[in-house]
Amino acid sequence: MSVAPVEVERPDVEEVVLPQVPWVTIVWNDPVNLMSYVTYVFQTYFGYSKEKATQLMLDVHRKGRAVVSNGTREEMERDTAAMHEYGLWATFQKDE
Amino acid sequence: MAATFTRARGGRVKVRLGDEDRSVVAGLLEAVSEMLEPEEPAAAQGEGDLFARLEAELAAPRPADPAVARLLPDASHDDPEIAEGFRRLTQDDLRERKRSALAVAAAALRRPAPVVLSDGEAQALLKGLTDVRLVLAERLGLRSDEDAEFLHAAVAAGADEGDNPWAQTAGLYDVVTFLQEDLVHAIAS
Repeated sequence: MSVAPVEVERPDVEEVVLPQVPWVTIVWNDPVNLMSYVTYVFQTYFGYSKEKATQLMLDVHRKGRAVVSNGTREEMERDTAAMHEYGLWATFQKDE
Repeated sequence: MAATFTRARGGRVKVRLGDEDRSVVAGLLEAVSEMLEPEEPAAAQGEGDLFARLEAELAAPRPADPAVARLLPDASHDDPEIAEGFRRLTQDDLRERKRSALAVAAAALRRPAPVVLSDGEAQALLKGLTDVRLVLAERLGLRSDEDAEFLHAAVAAGADEGDNPWAQTAGLYDVVTFLQEDLVHAIAS
């Protein structure tokens, strides 16, 4: 999936503020988890719409990974542990 | 083919599966639960100094069995410190949560027919079937989506009817996969 590039005004470097929530949870593709199940997990745990959950599932399936949530490190640890409880292969890291 | 799982009122799920098949699935769930029992701390019993003992107690090593390591995976691919810290923080809890879901699901399937799962039991079975499939897939050496497609095609062609152990496990994996797909649809419907 892609979107048309948008012209953005570049802010002065001095004005750039570090985001408050620089951590992300990533779910990786694996040959076991069912597409229907992964979509269901994203809907159930994160409360995402069926459309958003399906899109994330397809990203995992086709691109090999998808960022499924972002927030503080503690929040991402919690999300990663929850994904592991569901049997999904998740990691967390600082947003790049 | 008629659905094995059908939605009933109040989030409950009816199970249409013979006694023997339910018992096989319950046995798989129980076997995975057993694999997830905490490992004995390897070092520093009694004699060693206090700090060595504390360290051994706090350590949360990566499970030696690759199937268990898949159930309790690394939380970072490239930062061993993050992966290790996360294990220390969450691994015991994750083992317990998984074992609890596996036990709830197995006990429900061992009830006499007709079995109707509560919403919680259905959720536990959904997670439990995932863990069973992850373990079987590790034993079968499934590494890629292509491997999974090959396995399904081999089973569809009747490869599991002989006495080749790989093919028999592959047949079991395929059946559990079918059950899980059916259960997801029943729950999500």
